[in-house]
Amino acid sequence: MSTHVEAPDVWLSVPARAENVAVVRQALAGLCEALLAEPRVVADVKLAVTEACTNVVVHAYPGREGVMEVEARPVDRTLSVVVRDHGLGIVPRADSPGLGLGLPMIASLSDSVEIRGGADDGDTEVIMTFALDRLSEPAR
Amino acid sequence: MNSEQLAVEQIDGARVLTVRGEHDLYTAPPLREGITAPLDEGVPVIVDLTPATFIDSSILGVLLGGLRRARESGGFFSLVLGDEAEPTVRRIFEVTGLLSVFPIDASSAEALARSRGDGG
Repeated sequence: MSTHVEAPDVWLSVPARAENVAVVRQALAGLCEALLAEPRVVADVKLAVTEACTNVVVHAYPGREGVMEVEARPVDRTLSVVVRDHGLGIVPRADSPGLGLGLPMIASLSDSVEIRGGADDGDTEVIMTFALDRLSEPAR
Repeated sequence: MNSEQLAVEQIDGARVLTVRGEHDLYTAPPLREGITAPLDEGVPVIVDLTPATFIDSSILGVLLGGLRRARESGGFFSLVLGDEAEPTVRRIFEVTGLLSVFPIDASSAEALARSRGDGG
């Protein structure tokens, strides 16, 4: 039996609402399982993607509707995940309802993380990568 | 959220909340209400995360809020993480370094005994 697994890229565009975070999480978990990722990596992808999407839901579109876009693409046993919004992005907020743990957690759970944009009215992207076969903590 | 995801029981004078399945920003509000209402009435609160399969920082925030409220009012608040708890759920406590912050019991029976002052 071949260990080479082909899985399609995942592209999702959903309203940035709390109930849709689970939809994104389940889609990414399904992709990871199709790619035969290590269970620990599946867990880390689920948590990191949930935190990135929660940032969008809570911060990107204050007082209005908006879209949350997620792209996931496996390349050479590394999964790249982009979570994008077209709103405020990640900006400091004195009235933030969260713990402020989202981004530090993403950094701990992923093998790399990059934030692009974040200006007043441009797109903001959180770009994360995960080594699908790692058995321990992400390499830094 | 249905009663399968969050079961609420009154046992030996304590409120025991059993959290099952996946929980995030969407399911955080009823859990927050389930924790704060009894604490405000002086009722001990025990949150059993053993059957939970996923929690995020939104849920962690709710749990920290419960802990803070209990400490401020002199109330009792405990988490239960049994041996069979999902590694995924333990993971968020490890990543955030909050495992040592919460009072954690291995079973709801153990937590109930502590809430009555029987041990620990």
